[in-house]
Amino acid sequence: MTPVSTIFEPAVPHAAAGRRRYDAAARWAARLFIYGIPTALILVPMIAFLISSFWRIDGATVDRSFTLENYRTFLSDATYWGIYLGTLRLAGVVALFGLVAGYIVAYLIWRLEGSFRYFMLLCSVIPLAMNYIVKIYAMRNILGFNGILNTMLVWAHILPAPSTLFVFNQTAVLITMTVIYLPFAILPIFLSLERIPASLVEASADLGGPPGYTFRHVVLPLSLPGSIVGGLFVMVLALGDFLTPQMVGGSQGFTFGRAIWSQFGMAFDWPFGAALAVMLLLAIIAILAVAGLLSRYGRLS
Amino acid sequence: MTRAERITIAILWLFAGLVFLLLYGPAVLVVVLSFFDIRRGAVVWNSFSFEHYAALAHNASILSALGNTLLVAGGSVSVAMVLALAIAYYMRTGQRRGRAYIEFVIFLPFVLPAIITGISLLITFRELGVERSLFTVAIGHIVIVISIIYRLVMVRLEALQTSQLEASADLGARGFTTFRLVVLPQLSSAMVTGALLALTISLDETLVTFFLAGGDPTLPLRLWAMMRVGFSPEINALVSIVLLITTIAASIGALLLRRSIPARKA
Repeated sequence: MTPVSTIFEPAVPHAAAGRRRYDAAARWAARLFIYGIPTALILVPMIAFLISSFWRIDGATVDRSFTLENYRTFLSDATYWGIYLGTLRLAGVVALFGLVAGYIVAYLIWRLEGSFRYFMLLCSVIPLAMNYIVKIYAMRNILGFNGILNTMLVWAHILPAPSTLFVFNQTAVLITMTVIYLPFAILPIFLSLERIPASLVEASADLGGPPGYTFRHVVLPLSLPGSIVGGLFVMVLALGDFLTPQMVGGSQGFTFGRAIWSQFGMAFDWPFGAALAVMLLLAIIAILAVAGLLSRYGRLS
Repeated sequence: MTRAERITIAILWLFAGLVFLLLYGPAVLVVVLSFFDIRRGAVVWNSFSFEHYAALAHNASILSALGNTLLVAGGSVSVAMVLALAIAYYMRTGQRRGRAYIEFVIFLPFVLPAIITGISLLITFRELGVERSLFTVAIGHIVIVISIIYRLVMVRLEALQTSQLEASADLGARGFTTFRLVVLPQLSSAMVTGALLALTISLDETLVTFFLAGGDPTLPLRLWAMMRVGFSPEINALVSIVLLITTIAASIGALLLRRSIPARKA
């Protein structure tokens, strides 16, 4: 049963029996540590979360007997379904924007040469390190009623007066999420372009394919599956976000993430919140399954 | 290149420029506004000064939030480093049956949205009767950053020749000696990069922290609370400092990362 190991085995074969017993104990301690800590810190909480979605709130206490009531409440309430599907669509649109804009930026960087290429790549990744709350805050500054966008549109005579079009609604959430999550799309798209063997692009050029033709028939088909995976990654991030809609969405920008979060805050119905989060998890597992299929297909073709 | 292609590329670059404007515009705006007063929602353009930065030094709640953030980041990144190193080294030395399982578990919080990680830990802490505090926040951050450090260390370990480990064992070195004298020196660049990345993530982490924080807020939570009240030049000043530090840290991290990736062939 002992795993084959060149390192954790005793180096001297004829060591004393006591020494060997000590080694066996040390190996078991190492195993317990290596497998135990990630299990305790990550897997056990995940399971606890899944189990708690089958509990029920009874007054101020939690009733820990198995019930499907939380799921029944969700499935029978059209409001929750509406928010659920609406959030899926919102995250899908954010992902689509990320995919299109990210592809254009990543493609242009991919075509560059030398250190300028690396510099531009760095520029597209640095916004990831900028504080998340700060970005939301700045976007509120820009999109607000007295914000930069409105001021500029009025100044340019596109709008007669400041508009409430970009503040405290789904549009504001969409714009802000796109700006925040776009860098997460650029990097995976760039990497999927980078995986295309240079010889294929050269071969296409040698055979007389003009750049546009090479792009349509070689680069795009080879990079698209990986790029879509990048887009789906953005979708997962957008689905789980609850602070962006809270900060720029107002009452019209209610998303499923906010619905979950409010169960842990004001409503204080943790089991129901957990059940809602399980519904979110199901959507995410479906998205990840699609991503997995796409990346396998991308590697085969 | 034909003319049509040249025009297409030019239009694409124009679009990319717009995207970069969108990515950097918000941050630049905050930095610019941090030097001016804001009265009744309008910027007073002739009030350029550094006084909002000076005011920060006397804001006790911000300073304590900053202290909390640094404490959590330092503690959680150190623990995550040790854990990730130990797990990666264990998995690398020998045919470990549980490797797929451990990598699945470690990468869960990386793949799933933060809200699910946050809820999971929150529910577990309550079932265990653990009060929310900086300790629970630190556990959350360990869970989040461990996968990144593990990945970077593992990539470096896989590139390591197995013969080096075997030679060390042949010369009579036991596990820990080999690790200390042969492996660790070669891991330093991966560890520094991993630590910098993990620090950046921990300093910025908000979505999980939200669920796990007790009475002591970290800087992002404090920022969030301040912004709900309204905009103030002081927030802009604070935010500018945070932006400056994270940008520098990220740039250093990226440059280090570049050195560990082989250069692209021409």
